[in-house]
Amino acid sequence: MEVSILEYSDKYLKALVRNVPLPLINALRRTIIAEVPTMAIDEVLFIDNTSALYDEIIAHRLGLIPLKTDLDRYKMPEEVGCKDITQCREVAVRLILDVEAKDDIRVVYSGDLKSEDPEITPVSDKIPIVILSKGQKIALEAYARLGRGREHIKWSPVSVSVFKYLPKIEVNLELCTYCGECVKACPRKIFSIEGDNIKIGNIINCILCRACEEACPTKAITVSWESDSFVFYIESTGALPSKRIIVEAFKILKNKLLQLQKKVMEATK
Amino acid sequence: MIIPVRCFTCGALIGDKWEEFKKRIAQGEPPSKVLDELGIKRYCCRRMLLSHIDLIYDVLNFTRPS
Repeated sequence: MEVSILEYSDKYLKALVRNVPLPLINALRRTIIAEVPTMAIDEVLFIDNTSALYDEIIAHRLGLIPLKTDLDRYKMPEEVGCKDITQCREVAVRLILDVEAKDDIRVVYSGDLKSEDPEITPVSDKIPIVILSKGQKIALEAYARLGRGREHIKWSPVSVSVFKYLPKIEVNLELCTYCGECVKACPRKIFSIEGDNIKIGNIINCILCRACEEACPTKAITVSWESDSFVFYIESTGALPSKRIIVEAFKILKNKLLQLQKKVMEATK
Repeated sequence: MIIPVRCFTCGALIGDKWEEFKKRIAQGEPPSKVLDELGIKRYCCRRMLLSHIDLIYDVLNFTRPS
């Protein structure tokens, strides 16, 4: 097994993973999407809303705002048996929104949400929640809690979690006439021809579309892929740093396997 | 109506980029360049901003009774 990082920041992670079985990397991908918990607003109590948008629309928009998440201090509601999250302090964070458009049109931003926990705040302060015209006002209490992507996508820590096979392009030099048709056909500009030399650039950019195979008049090109190497890519919503998402996903996956092992051992005793 | 918070297809945050996008388009910059500079790479997210019309400004004056 071999891993090399191609792109890495708090928001993105792209890695080339070699010699790893497909089910393992797919389990990681699915765990990231559906099982890694993050914070999101789940209950909204409206005190006043005279804006043009319905309460439900505003509550939905609030839910979709990604919140910076602290996984160490908060627990899942089912872990502590919390039925009503507005009542459980160890489970939920309260955010308050109270805005009135006094003399002009006023855009209400995610930055206007006042969180009772300074570390659980919206990822961006510039997300419009609602727009108020003169004299309209909105006042509400929102409760954010930990949840998982399998329950609602607003709790998923990633917007993208994908992998593809590592492409493999073979050129039969006995058949190649250096006509340049593949150079023209490739949408990712992978080929280049200099005199009697055909060059293949960055293979990771190949999307396995096989346009070069089709365009080649002498059928000299074969596009295939390595069955145990993958280009893995995740893009965080900002709720958790990309590295933390991977760490948590492996923790959850490992726990599930340990549980399965335990159950099998008990059943066969 | 109002700019969606996230991309309908992939779920990436796009709501916070709308006002800068709108401002720069109004100044005559080409949309493709602005989208690239805002870091919106996929076409699912790009269409969210490109095809959006701020209808909320038309319904803004209809206040609901409190």
